[in-house]
Amino acid sequence: MAYRMTVDGLTEFSGLLDKLGNSAQSVASQALYEGAGMMAEAINKGAEAIKTEPFHYAREGTRLPSPEEKAIVEAASAGIAKFDKGADSVDTSIGFRNAGYAMLGNKEKPIPQIVNAINSGTSFMQKQPFVRSASTKAKTKVLTAMKEKIESSFDAITKETTGG
Amino acid sequence: MPSEYTALVAALKLCSTPIAEYGWKARPEGAYRTIQLDFEAGSLDADGWKADRAWEGSIDQYYPKLTDRDDLNEEVEEILTEILGNSWSLNSTQYESGTGLFHVEWVFQCVDTPEEPAPEPEGEGGDDDGVQDDG
Repeated sequence: MAYRMTVDGLTEFSGLLDKLGNSAQSVASQALYEGAGMMAEAINKGAEAIKTEPFHYAREGTRLPSPEEKAIVEAASAGIAKFDKGADSVDTSIGFRNAGYAMLGNKEKPIPQIVNAINSGTSFMQKQPFVRSASTKAKTKVLTAMKEKIESSFDAITKETTGG
Repeated sequence: MPSEYTALVAALKLCSTPIAEYGWKARPEGAYRTIQLDFEAGSLDADGWKADRAWEGSIDQYYPKLTDRDDLNEEVEEILTEILGNSWSLNSTQYESGTGLFHVEWVFQCVDTPEEPAPEPEGEGGDDDGVQDDG
């Protein structure tokens, strides 16, 4: 005896799978856009907490950054690089890499160098790792927000395909 | 102070390279290191109490140009691995053109492990290395 089985909605399901596969990159980009924004905000907030002291040359020990140096870092603010969309990943970087130059006294100094001296410390400047502390502390929050964004985007696509 | 951090400081003090906690008042000649706890990296909360806390810290090493840097780096990395396992990483290497010093930075995360009497499952206590001090 021959049996015939009919399954409803299988074509819709395969259509959904196709659509999810095609839109995976744009969903990832949207989530990354949100996460990167949150992380950049956290880093800029961290820059507000940099300790300063009036400028002097550190001939013996270490010194803190001067208020002018802090003002440059605060004005520059962390930027988000152009998204690098690969075959199975979307990458970006957040930081001061392309922040440009600023006048410190009567000299033009690269801003990344000033940020690095404060963040990582030098032999004459006390380190205040504001970028690292901001990223470590905001990491869980950012990842949760990105996960929620991905889930809501996929929900929207599923509803659009099956419901509409 | 977390116990892992104090163990790290004690181990680094045994090396020939001078080390200071939280920076130097006066910089020494030649290669030197500094170690510090930077901030609290996270905590495990349970019932309104901090059940477990973690800290993030860093080791900075400065050395002039003509130093055998591989030995210096290996020394630090072996100590870090011995005490912290894999919870450390090499964060940055940079060159200061003003002072002519190289600067290597390691970042680590450490916790406060309470001292428990370690259960000795077998063996008659023959191979005591003197590392653990019970009681």
